[in-house]
Amino acid sequence: MSLSIYYFLSITAVNILMTWAIYLPYRVAHLHFITIANMAISGYLAGYLVMTLKFPFFWALLIGFAVGGLIGYLVSLFIGDAPTFAVVIVGFTFIYITRTVIENIPAIGGTMGMFGLPNIAKTPAGHRNLIIVILYGLVLLVGFLIYRFDNSRLGKAASAIFVDKDLATSLGVDIKKLGQLLQVFSCIVAGGTGVLYGFIYRSFHPDFFTFHLVGIYMTTMFVGGYSTLWGSLLMAPILYGLPLLFPKEIQSWRMVIYGVILILVLVLKPEGFITRRLVYNIGIRLSHKREKI
Amino acid sequence: MKKLIGVMILLLVASTAAFGQVVVNEWQIPFLNCLTGPIASIGEYLQWGANYAAEEINAAGGIAGKPVKVIPVDTGLDPQKGSVEMARIVKDSLVAMGPVPEAVIMAAMPIAVENGMMSITATTSYEYAAPYLPWTVSWFPPTEKRLATLIEAWLKQFSDIKTVVQFIEPYGAWPGMAKGHTRAINNLKLKEVKIDVPSDAVAFGPIVVRAMSQKPDAVILACNAEKAAKIIKEMKSLGWTKMDHILVFSSADTPELYTTGGKDIEGVQIYNYTNDALDTPRWNAFKAAYMADHQGTQVPSLAPNYYDALYMIKEAIEKTGVTGDPKKLKEERKKIADYLQNIKGFKGLLFEWDNVDGVAMTKPTYIFEVKDGKKKLVLEVKPTF
Amino acid sequence: MQVFIAQIINGLSLGSIYVLLATGFNLLLLVALIIHFSYPVVVVFSMYIVWVVLNATGNNLLLGILAGVLSSIILNVVSAPIFQKVMKKRGEVDINSTMVVSMGMGFIITDILSHSFNHGFPIAFPENLTGSEPLFRIGLISVQVGQVWSLAIGAIAVSAFFVLLYKTRAGRAFRAIAEDPAGARLVGIPIVKTGIQSYALSGVMGGMSAILIAMLLHSASPGLGDMLAHKVLAVSIVAGLGNLVGGLVVGLALGVIEALIQGYAAGSWSNAIAFVVMLVVILWKPKGLFGIKV
Repeated sequence: MSLSIYYFLSITAVNILMTWAIYLPYRVAHLHFITIANMAISGYLAGYLVMTLKFPFFWALLIGFAVGGLIGYLVSLFIGDAPTFAVVIVGFTFIYITRTVIENIPAIGGTMGMFGLPNIAKTPAGHRNLIIVILYGLVLLVGFLIYRFDNSRLGKAASAIFVDKDLATSLGVDIKKLGQLLQVFSCIVAGGTGVLYGFIYRSFHPDFFTFHLVGIYMTTMFVGGYSTLWGSLLMAPILYGLPLLFPKEIQSWRMVIYGVILILVLVLKPEGFITRRLVYNIGIRLSHKREKI
Repeated sequence: MKKLIGVMILLLVASTAAFGQVVVNEWQIPFLNCLTGPIASIGEYLQWGANYAAEEINAAGGIAGKPVKVIPVDTGLDPQKGSVEMARIVKDSLVAMGPVPEAVIMAAMPIAVENGMMSITATTSYEYAAPYLPWTVSWFPPTEKRLATLIEAWLKQFSDIKTVVQFIEPYGAWPGMAKGHTRAINNLKLKEVKIDVPSDAVAFGPIVVRAMSQKPDAVILACNAEKAAKIIKEMKSLGWTKMDHILVFSSADTPELYTTGGKDIEGVQIYNYTNDALDTPRWNAFKAAYMADHQGTQVPSLAPNYYDALYMIKEAIEKTGVTGDPKKLKEERKKIADYLQNIKGFKGLLFEWDNVDGVAMTKPTYIFEVKDGKKKLVLEVKPTF
Repeated sequence: MQVFIAQIINGLSLGSIYVLLATGFNLLLLVALIIHFSYPVVVVFSMYIVWVVLNATGNNLLLGILAGVLSSIILNVVSAPIFQKVMKKRGEVDINSTMVVSMGMGFIITDILSHSFNHGFPIAFPENLTGSEPLFRIGLISVQVGQVWSLAIGAIAVSAFFVLLYKTRAGRAFRAIAEDPAGARLVGIPIVKTGIQSYALSGVMGGMSAILIAMLLHSASPGLGDMLAHKVLAVSIVAGLGNLVGGLVVGLALGVIEALIQGYAAGSWSNAIAFVVMLVVILWKPKGLFGIKV
């Protein structure tokens, strides 16, 4: 695998996972940007464990997942059923606070960042292969779990909350518990992804986790479609890959293009490109073909 | 769906092929720069410097007889983009320039190191370059040491200083630079008061009142240019008059300082590595060309860095006799890196310097005073390593 | 004591920026039911227009101010159909979508500012707008013209909009259209005309804010709107969305808290303290201290 394909694939996988981490809580109308702070917290922590305390990488990765989940759980106790805008601002606030904390801890590099994370395999090529295997293994696992969730009773309950909280409550759905479950799961995913993000670059810098990630993941989810997991899966490589091919003159207007696409999609195709109906229709067509065979 | 997958595969192939062509009759030097996003204005003049060098070199016969072309590669301040662009570059480039700035350096430089390709990071501090030696060069000596000497020289200009306030913004290498300033203050047994400048601050009244309440005799500003200008304005509004007792650090000597500060920064002192007052044909031509292309604005202090970097690459290619033959890529990359680690008497745009194990150890630093919106030289400080 | 008084004045000055922006933000929420997250970015855009016109007219203050207000009105009215299309059903989901549309607008405006104005460098406003000398200064206590104006206009605007929206027929019509356009049409409110008026009204507030913030800060940069947007949303949530009086109190309180923290708390942690305070309040009372008014 060429280096550029490796970086393209690995960062695409990170973007898919992180968009799913935003997608899941949005199933109950929560824009949960605390996930980006979680990426940073778990990533830096894992970096410290591996570099300074000489933990094996896989232990650090597991701790990254766990810490992400723990933070998600603690916060969800307060905002499991909060309105969307409150969840948004909690996320933004967490990003600011996390950055300040990171910048003030010399042991993890402070404002300078953390250099020289080791390879997780014996050779650089082995490191890259292992990172890709872990990332895409995680994409498969998380994708499978989300798929099962979306098609379960809980998924339908989440849809009910998304459309009308009062109606969902009257149908006996525990809004807070479901909100908490989704927030915690998304934070677990974000924690682990943050660890892998740093080990792709083999370094951490506070600027790896800024608000531009909010823009990328939000655009990916809304343009791809926020009602199924497939939209994020499809749109993450396109939105990351396409700008790499833009001519220089157009590249410089990248954020304007993202903004225009985002607004156009919300106005013209409010559910994004991949809607639940589209997925359903594709499913029907595929099953017809199977019957013919 | 099939069509979509087809398009995606095409995109992938095209993206990896972009730097795949080897042009043997032209030296192509990729420059990982930041041409879009929040610091695009800085990226523009860095690119301008590199392009100007390429024009000059080509007009004088090119590098070893072949023309040179600087290929701008935009990272847009995005580590994600920086890494994939560096991965494309290392495939077949002999040597590269950049990346800019620090977050992208940290994401992209490990790729250059792993593949044994030199990429000259000519705007960052020693601390960000050192982990990647010998596959880059540090444009500046170790921060704390060099700045201590400089600040001591600045403070010794005045006999009335007992307390120094230092404003510090927590960003990248700046706290490290502030440590260098602190070392000088301690060496001279003066009292220091540190004031934190919040990165997201929009108003500076609170921190300036806090600083002024300490009755300082001198002030050092280690924060970005716009913030530095606003802090100076606030200080003036509270009656500060000893303008030459304010020192702005080099990273804030960018056009924002002058556009935001206006006449309120008159008399303030600034330290930097570029001496605008120099009068040589080469510098004068550079300055005139820059001003012609930028509506008469002063040359920003970082604008010559990639101009010099390209000349450094020229010297390395010509002195080591590398040919650009793709079959010898690995070996020729190493030759260039080895040569640049200890280049001697390099004739930069503004002065000559030596690299010692990859670090520019002999560059002087200058202290200027702002007069009529322009920098006037006050002091030249030679390194004392 | 002198330092304390100076910090309180600084805090009120900073707070008045939050008040102006939170009032405009809440106004849009009340008259159009949209969460215009990037409203501060729109205001910063108007600041740039003021700067362009001042430059082009040799610092003609009147034209500069008019251009600022006009640009804000135009931007608001032009964006109205986009928001209205997204807001078709007026459910919670649609209101959330307005926030996302607004974020998209924010990307566009910020990027245009960093590309097309002053080479992306910050802009500085001339002295005939900002004032060259403080109104008065005693030691470390200093009061600027912009500080007095913005605090006064912030308080007046909140009172005026409160009276307009809750005590007059026109205000009730604005709110009726925002909450239930079909019902409003049934009772004879001219939907299009009143709708445009409500967006234009928010535009006027935005334009005035642009001029006052220019007087207070003396400069602007492309990233200024984003820096303020997070805090303005936080102020509005802590106060209670749509609560004008709450926005006034919390905006000023946040300014004072920030000033006191920066003025007294040691070390580089001061940056996080104001956010921790806001976070605690939001976690404790997600519907705000003064209650949601929409």
